[in-house]
Amino acid sequence: MQHSSTRQVLVGALVALAVGVLLIGGVLRVARLTVVRGATEQNAVVTAASVSQVLAQVRAADGDLQAVARGLVDRLEDVDRIRVIDSGKRLLAASTDAADLTAGEVPRRLGREEKAWFDQAKELEANHRTNISEGNARKDEILRMAVAQSQLELVLPLFAGDTVDGSVQVLTSAVVPRVPGPRLLPLAVVAGAFLVLVALSVLLKGRWLFAGGLVLLVVGLWAFAALGLAGLAAVRHDVEAAIAHHALEVRDAVGLEAPGTTLDITAWNVDRFGAPRGTFDRAGTVATETVDAGLAEGGRRFGQAAGLLGVFALVIYYWVGAGWTVRTWQALRKHHTAYGFVLPAMIGMIVLVFFPFAYGVVLSFTNQTLYNVNQPLYDLWVGIDNYIDILSDVAVWHTGEDGSRIINFQNFYWTLGFTILWTVSNVSIGVSLGLILALILNTKNLAFRPFYRIILILPWAVPNYITALIWKGMFHRQFGVINQVIAMFGGEPIAWFDAWHTSFFAVLATNAWLSFPFMMVVSLGALQAISSDLYEAARVDGASRWQQFWFVTLPSIKPALVPAVILSVVWTFNMFNIIYLVSQGEPAGATEILITDAYKIAFEQYRYGYAAAYSVVIFLILMIYGVWQNRVTRATEGI
Amino acid sequence: MKTRILMLLAVMLTMVVLPAVAAAQTELVVWHAYRGKERTAFEAAVKAYNDAHAGKVTVNTLAVPYDAYADKISAAVPRGKGPDVFIYAQDRLGGWVEAGGTIEPIDFYLDQATIDRFIPTTLAAMEYQGNTYGLPMNYKVVTMIYNKALVKTPPRTSGELVKVAKSLTDVAAGRFGLAYSYGDFYYHSALMNAFGGGVFENGRDPKLDTPENIRSLELMMTWYDTDGILPAEPSSTLITSLFNQGKAAIVFSGPWFLSEIADDIDYGLATLPTIDEAGGAPMKPWMTVEGVYVAQPSQHKDEAFDFVLAITGLDAGKIMALQGRQTPANKLVYDDPEVAADPVLKAFRAQVEFAVPMPNFAEMTMVWSPATTAMNSIVRKTTSPSAGRGAEGRGWSGWRAWRK
Repeated sequence: MQHSSTRQVLVGALVALAVGVLLIGGVLRVARLTVVRGATEQNAVVTAASVSQVLAQVRAADGDLQAVARGLVDRLEDVDRIRVIDSGKRLLAASTDAADLTAGEVPRRLGREEKAWFDQAKELEANHRTNISEGNARKDEILRMAVAQSQLELVLPLFAGDTVDGSVQVLTSAVVPRVPGPRLLPLAVVAGAFLVLVALSVLLKGRWLFAGGLVLLVVGLWAFAALGLAGLAAVRHDVEAAIAHHALEVRDAVGLEAPGTTLDITAWNVDRFGAPRGTFDRAGTVATETVDAGLAEGGRRFGQAAGLLGVFALVIYYWVGAGWTVRTWQALRKHHTAYGFVLPAMIGMIVLVFFPFAYGVVLSFTNQTLYNVNQPLYDLWVGIDNYIDILSDVAVWHTGEDGSRIINFQNFYWTLGFTILWTVSNVSIGVSLGLILALILNTKNLAFRPFYRIILILPWAVPNYITALIWKGMFHRQFGVINQVIAMFGGEPIAWFDAWHTSFFAVLATNAWLSFPFMMVVSLGALQAISSDLYEAARVDGASRWQQFWFVTLPSIKPALVPAVILSVVWTFNMFNIIYLVSQGEPAGATEILITDAYKIAFEQYRYGYAAAYSVVIFLILMIYGVWQNRVTRATEGI
Repeated sequence: MKTRILMLLAVMLTMVVLPAVAAAQTELVVWHAYRGKERTAFEAAVKAYNDAHAGKVTVNTLAVPYDAYADKISAAVPRGKGPDVFIYAQDRLGGWVEAGGTIEPIDFYLDQATIDRFIPTTLAAMEYQGNTYGLPMNYKVVTMIYNKALVKTPPRTSGELVKVAKSLTDVAAGRFGLAYSYGDFYYHSALMNAFGGGVFENGRDPKLDTPENIRSLELMMTWYDTDGILPAEPSSTLITSLFNQGKAAIVFSGPWFLSEIADDIDYGLATLPTIDEAGGAPMKPWMTVEGVYVAQPSQHKDEAFDFVLAITGLDAGKIMALQGRQTPANKLVYDDPEVAADPVLKAFRAQVEFAVPMPNFAEMTMVWSPATTAMNSIVRKTTSPSAGRGAEGRGWSGWRAWRK
């Protein structure tokens, strides 16, 4: 940082401010457009909902739907066409579209090419029923079909009492609320911040100037975002007033057309799920608190986004201001052939490894499930809720009615503890068994050595799911060979998968069988590389067999053994097949390990976001372990 | 140069000919997961359709390996890369409808004659939230299969069943009067439904520990524990080998079991018994119904539905019943003399009158794992049926997370 020159700091600050203003300003612009577009759509919804309310009342009173529909199109300036579908009778009940009427007088039966209209009505019916039965608003009760830039077609449910048995299609032309344009004040503040920095650069040098720039950058961008958000809030209040005004106009027009009907403008002000928005009352007065509450939620999301973008701007400032850009550029120029060679592999890694990984991490911050898999991730953002949910549940056991301790086997910490137990015991068994067998095979002049070696490697050669299924069969309570042997010696058969410790033993035995050949092969290779001079020297010095093993053999094979152990720990930690096939988590999920649990959450419960968070947690645990292991053993130095 | 001119000619020719062909003939792609005899029969039925519609519609079938089938549909169909029509059991229907963009609703096409030709429960399996999404083609249901050498007249009530089974059980010799996967919730459903139990309340909220379910589990435990007529840890391979060795007199299983029976076993089929403990109510197994669905992104929905109508019709049903040994959902098929004379088809047709379609809600996937866990701990007597509520762990409330 002491290398940063005044010029670098100023350039860095300028670039960072420009990037920050462009990005945060971009978000503000999108938000502003969204507010205006949302208000335009809401105007259309209000109009369409009024039409649907009136038509439902006309139908209930056996009035002339077609005549009222025509009248509404005439009276309401923003309504271009109305169609009424009766899904119960499969009728086109009314239509103001000339083309529809040439195909036959209304009401008439819907034709095959008009199936989509019928399906829309049935969809609204099902969605309304779902929302009612689940007691929340999840399914759309207003369908939006964008027709052209200035037109929007809305399909609303046609109610008969409390149930839906048809739909009303309303083609509306946009009523865009008028709002004041963006202000220049925020930009002026940012420019001022930069000018102050330029002035400062006369007084300060080096790291002090860098620090001053940092402060000005933070203050400048914060002020820019805050002023922009305030401007947005003003726009929002304006458009809500415009919507209320529009609703009053619609009421007057509709009232003229259908005098006998009850008209409630608050019932027209609904969101896409049919839930009331409550932003104005029956008299058309804007409910400021409701609007502000909505703004607070939007402001929080904007704050998160602006904060992230601000951090990004600060990173750029650091990168440029502290001279890293220059150094990066120099390194790229100096070693351009080397980077050229690495480039294809880097692209491959980015596409095949880093992108899926990053996608998984992003997914872990959403609540994507089977139900909302086709929605954009942005709409499903829940922040770190999944992580809190996973990590905060520390109640591993609770006390039952009779005072006994009942373990909740589904708890994350139980599963984590079990996974660690599983890993440690498996690797210990694998290493010791492998080492012992390697030592035996390494005996000089051992007869039939190649034969033994092949036999001992066989468990490794058989596909592990086949081995797993065979072992599962051997542990069967009534017909498994292990229980039959126990019974042969007069013992009671054991129900292996009934208690977690016997179930654990079963999976442990299976995995030990699978894991020792690898350790044996690794150890054997290392053993054969030890020079016999070392043993000779040890014997001359009077070392016992035990001392030879402890001071000569072990240190010599350590460089080969330690990476193998690290690998083996990671494999065993994520040894999916054995648990999934042999114990299947029995009893009651007690012998589930983290990776099988993550699989079940993703593909049995279809909670993709939650499962992604689970996987990220597994990744973090393994990463911490890997870093720690490297520190302790310095294993990578030997390679 | 010559080849280039030839290629150019070929390209021009295809440009002229291809649209003409496409205009004259619609090609439909159908995905299914049938194998063996069922596949042959299905393809024969499709061929009959193609012959009848020569020059207008050609249906091409694609057999997809079963284990990847559901995921393939979920991934391909909403993106418009899938078939026009696909066949799948009803259990995934709810999930596909909720995810959207997969299955076309077909209520619009249905008329009374079409509705009337199906066994009502099989058509009900195709409905979700009041809309119909497919037509049922075949159903699979569990029924009673017995060894004629051991059982002369199949028991009609649970009292008779226990009596017959007890007389044929000799645990020391590994002989059992009755064998079925009672620890498997799918098989247990027959008892559960007999007692009027179920797995959902308020529509689609999973709930397992209802009084009816507990009573059904208590009866199952009486059979296993007190009467001792059932083998321990009954895997499907174990049941097959017991039955084939003549060591299991009666088995509750479905059509998939029949192909595994050894040639020297003379077996009969009968409707599952009524349950005295449930006031004489019949056992009502869950059935799976293979539905034929029109894919929502299909460009030829009208033609696709015409095919769906034909393949679930009488002629196709006869081919699949007689050649594929399947059980069609079209009840008119059973009036055919050749089908009516077939004891196996007749037995399944009789059983389906007392079958309940397995719920097609996506929430069902949340039920299996806790239910299996609960069943296991009850069978192993680590919990009693009435206290079997420990299954409601973290995963149990997972369905709530879906509805946010």
